[in-house]
Amino acid sequence: MSANSTAGTPAAGVSISLAELRENQPRFQGFVGGHRACVGCGQALAARLVTEAAGPDVAVANATGCLEVFSTAWPDSAWRVPWLHSLFENAGAIASGMEAAFKARGQSTKVLAFAGDGGTFDIGFQSLSGMIERNHNVLYVCYDNEAYMNTGVQRSSSTPHAAATTTSPAGRDRLGKRHMKKDILQIVAAHHMPYAATASVAYPSDLRKKVRRAMEIEGSTFLLVHSPCPLGWRHDGAKSIEVARLAVTTGLVPIIELERGALTGSMPIREQRPVIEYLRAQGRFQHLFADTAEAREELEHIQALADYNIERYGLRGSGNDARDTEGADTVRRGGVRWA
Amino acid sequence: MKQYPRGGIAEPGASLAYHTGSWRVQRPVHVHQAAPCHHACPAGEDAQAYLALVEQGAMQAAWEALVSANPLPAITGRVCPHPCESGCNRGQYDEPVSIHGIERVLGDEAIRNNWAYPVSAPAADAPTVAVIGAGPAGLSCAWHLLRRGLRVVVFESETEPGGICATAIPEYRLPAKVVSAECGRLLALDGIEFQPGQQLGRDVSLHDLKQQYAAVFIGAGAQQARPWNIDGVTPVDLHDGLAVLKEWTRVGQVPPAARVAVIGGGNTAVDLCRVFKRAGASQVMLVTHSGMPGPGVPDAMRALPRELEQAQEEGVEILAHRGVRRLVLRGEKVAGLETVHMKKLPDANGRLRRVAFEGTESLIHVDMVVPATGQDVDGTGFEELLNGQTYLSANAEGATGADRVFAGGDVTGQAGTVAAAVGQGRRAAAAIARALGKTAETPRRSEAVVAFSALNTEYFEAGKRHHGSSLPVAERGIEREVEQGLGLSEARAEAGRCLSCGNCLACDNCYTLCPDTAVLKTRAEAADGSHYVFDYEYCKGCGLCANECPTGYIQMVPEL
Repeated sequence: MSANSTAGTPAAGVSISLAELRENQPRFQGFVGGHRACVGCGQALAARLVTEAAGPDVAVANATGCLEVFSTAWPDSAWRVPWLHSLFENAGAIASGMEAAFKARGQSTKVLAFAGDGGTFDIGFQSLSGMIERNHNVLYVCYDNEAYMNTGVQRSSSTPHAAATTTSPAGRDRLGKRHMKKDILQIVAAHHMPYAATASVAYPSDLRKKVRRAMEIEGSTFLLVHSPCPLGWRHDGAKSIEVARLAVTTGLVPIIELERGALTGSMPIREQRPVIEYLRAQGRFQHLFADTAEAREELEHIQALADYNIERYGLRGSGNDARDTEGADTVRRGGVRWA
Repeated sequence: MKQYPRGGIAEPGASLAYHTGSWRVQRPVHVHQAAPCHHACPAGEDAQAYLALVEQGAMQAAWEALVSANPLPAITGRVCPHPCESGCNRGQYDEPVSIHGIERVLGDEAIRNNWAYPVSAPAADAPTVAVIGAGPAGLSCAWHLLRRGLRVVVFESETEPGGICATAIPEYRLPAKVVSAECGRLLALDGIEFQPGQQLGRDVSLHDLKQQYAAVFIGAGAQQARPWNIDGVTPVDLHDGLAVLKEWTRVGQVPPAARVAVIGGGNTAVDLCRVFKRAGASQVMLVTHSGMPGPGVPDAMRALPRELEQAQEEGVEILAHRGVRRLVLRGEKVAGLETVHMKKLPDANGRLRRVAFEGTESLIHVDMVVPATGQDVDGTGFEELLNGQTYLSANAEGATGADRVFAGGDVTGQAGTVAAAVGQGRRAAAAIARALGKTAETPRRSEAVVAFSALNTEYFEAGKRHHGSSLPVAERGIEREVEQGLGLSEARAEAGRCLSCGNCLACDNCYTLCPDTAVLKTRAEAADGSHYVFDYEYCKGCGLCANECPTGYIQMVPEL
């Protein structure tokens, strides 16, 4: 297809072809390349990481959204696990039905439900709530890129305060979205469910651990994965991890675990970064750097939101910790970190 | 293509048929770059390469990688001013890696375990090269000639090998048994013949050597005291610094004195001060034009900061930025010095010159003054090559201009450190081998040096440098080594602090973070030394891998 085809030729220093090498990777690949996500897509990375960690014995119900669209441009599919497209509003319901069917057939296959923030926070919320209320054995993963990116960057109830989208533009009267980001994690956890957690693509080893933890739990579990969208957030695709990391180290995206609604785990912040570092890296917040009293006030407002999160979840680190924001992404020779 | 009902089903992983690589406007590539430690090492050691092996516990392989450049690591690990550590990028993060500490451990382990030098014996009819001087330059040259399949005969005027390392570095800093063990192991290699007690110009002549051997390498060092006076005045009881150190090393005595001033800012001067202290002098002062080493000091002393620190702990007074204005003589013997504060400052044209500050003159009472301001070459036996010059001139590859005569080390006036002498010996050996048609090696092209800014330090964890212990002042004496060095496990942990600048450390970042699964992990090491290959069929060129590569090993280049 492309002029520089190398699929059949041996890789440098490797005696087998790239195609063969691809089939001999040390990790399970439930989600492969050739999908149509934008360059540097955080959601594609998140889906890859979740699927890798979940392993082969799964079946996926995928709500409408970017992930569904870019991974299955007919007749191609990037999935190597059973995968079903539901509608925008019913990933929770479809996953519930799949789980019930597996149960009836005596199969232990774990059902995963994938949806974006639109399909979770807004449109698919009631079916998600029902699924958890009935405690179906489903891991529901919400890939949170904080707007309806698939349809052209419209605000969702996950869009953070002051972010500009096409339906919450920055202008004379408003500095981006007027309302706050919905605290979906607390709402979901209020179902008295066994496990609900946040994670970020910037901390893949933490994300993998949480997926494995959720896989072991018999019952409804929920994972909210913060996934940058270079197109909608307006940053270079190369910076997706950098931006996601800043979201965590500023305190704007707390990395926490809730069990039966109670806080049981958190990633401490060793060195809190000022929110302007995070905001400046993204086009959707550029209007906050205008030289006006309103813009300055909004910057302070967002800093206060970050500080509030840190206080609320006790995220301030005390001494160096291998699991804090600096320790959790330390590399080791030979890749031990990811094992 | 298989026909499916529209909107129906798709084969698993069928998207691999769609090559998103065609979207790309830039591609990631692996670029091997020189780590700053490698770039800074005068001996040419690639510290980054052997630190990686140490971290993995492959100590012998690490030593072999190390001696491929420098055959004397137990010596340099103790006495080198380690410019590698000044260059180390980790210095801009927390503290530089203790490269010299690890080098020393490797050298000592090789001696302790008698690891075989990685070389095979040369052919019986291989050309033989004469090496004059078994100091660092000569030994390095001999080793690198042997590695290139040549035979070597080493002539040494002293009875023991090691050159200045054996004759003029005190035991507490460099034990004689380390020098003799390391040099001895090298000289015992099949293909090297050692002829001690043979001095050029007395026992052998350059003319005969040129007749007898395929080439000659002169590594005779700089052994002659440099004339020293203040305004033409020299005390009759003047002792030259190097001679005093040699006497101390040989017989354990120095000329008796209660109050001593040593003039100079190098390691020899500091060694002298510490030796006089050990010999019982009540007051020892080091007087130097240069400043104390530290950040932002352009004219810092050449002595190792750690040695200076220890000298001060032992009671040596350092008079930095000080010049000697006048000798105070009682009769013809020295009774004191008049010193003045000085500094190197730029003049109107920006040229640095020394300025003495009026009103800062002060008298210090001493009964001995020892200059340690450098040595000149003793040209006995190669006078015609020296041609009245202070040093034997040689180009970067050691060629002297004379047919088949090469030179390296202090004799050329370009070395100044053991490591530099080792580097010159190595380069000369390469040039000799080339001249004898022995190898077709082309000099390695110089690689760009990885800047600190090219690293992604988010992926590293701050960690304290392992210093190793040093003897408490009360326990320091004439023989016991002050620096105790690193233990094996400390050395491994310290090697783990290496940031692996410009080289893949197989951290899996690129492999883990690619949204398009366009980075594949290889089972064995790939040809470029990494563990990954890019699958350009799917790489969209987002640059995430390059941005998140901790070592700067991945770079984005535009697609043409």
